[in-house]
Amino acid sequence: MNLQVAFAATLVALTISPALTVHAQLNMNAPAKKAYVVYAAEPQSIAANKQATLELRFQIVNGYHVNSHTPKSDFLIPTVVTLQPSSGVKTGELQYPKGMPYSFSFDPGTKLDVYAGSFTVKLPVVASAGEHTLAGTLKYQACDNASCYPPRIVPLKVLFNAK
Amino acid sequence: MIGGISLVVWSGVQNLRKRRMDDQRSAQTQAVLVRSPDQTPAASSPLRGKPAPEFTLVDLDGKKVSLKDFKGHPLLLNFWGTYCDPCKIEMPWLEEFHKKYASQGFEVVGVTYDSEVGKAAIAKDTHKLGVTYPILLSDSKAEKEYLSDSEVLPMSFYLDRTGKIIEVTAGLGGKDQLEAMVKKTIAANN
Repeated sequence: MNLQVAFAATLVALTISPALTVHAQLNMNAPAKKAYVVYAAEPQSIAANKQATLELRFQIVNGYHVNSHTPKSDFLIPTVVTLQPSSGVKTGELQYPKGMPYSFSFDPGTKLDVYAGSFTVKLPVVASAGEHTLAGTLKYQACDNASCYPPRIVPLKVLFNAK
Repeated sequence: MIGGISLVVWSGVQNLRKRRMDDQRSAQTQAVLVRSPDQTPAASSPLRGKPAPEFTLVDLDGKKVSLKDFKGHPLLLNFWGTYCDPCKIEMPWLEEFHKKYASQGFEVVGVTYDSEVGKAAIAKDTHKLGVTYPILLSDSKAEKEYLSDSEVLPMSFYLDRTGKIIEVTAGLGGKDQLEAMVKKTIAANN
């Protein structure tokens, strides 16, 4: 199975069974809560000691959306990735994609800025040679077209090899 | 030369096809996000038909408010959150119906699910929405008893004058539907 197929299979499995996914991502003793966004932990390879860009790919469960990184209201909770420092890795500022306009059918006049389907956050890095892991979290708040769900903070790990 | 031109043309066609597929995917995503306004938001809740669980919560002024304070009134108990846009769409409707049916004893009480954001943030939100009905701060007991494991907002409980829950709705419905539920609640046990 090549990497692309493995990645796709992982995404499909995670999308079909979101509750199971979160159970695996979080403390195993904690009660499982439904996940609305799944992180696709795809190992990446970059050139050592050179400016490179890592991609953090997220899949949103079908029928849901999350606020973009720059929602149009102070009251809305933005999607935010937070990463811990790691030795041998110098990180730049995270680059979030633009959101797409969205309105609830009951209030077409109010335009929100959301991610739906999937989105990719880019991380500029310069890393020394070797295997690296950046630990962090994704914070998001999901809604469907009539309801909203509490904010979630999901741990994630960015795995990459600098050659 | 001919091979080169063919390659450029082929590559252009492939790019165009990819763009069209991306546009189609985007359109499909949009379609998934649109729900019919007449879709019923009725929720399956074990509380329907049962007496509403008692609670004593504090309002934005720190005053204790209990369910029993509304005894004898048809009541709409609305769980909402500051992060919940659908909640904020229906809250002005609740305010409108609160005033419209006040002469028939109808009451509305909002219960803030994310009370940890603080009274100031909640008050700023409700003021902006023009809400004057009581806004209470939820606690874990009320959330467990009313919402169980559901985290769906908005969630509304319609109580008749005896305190029995006659309907539970989850998510945003249409304004007309909401008013019909209010009328049904007022008419129950009248």
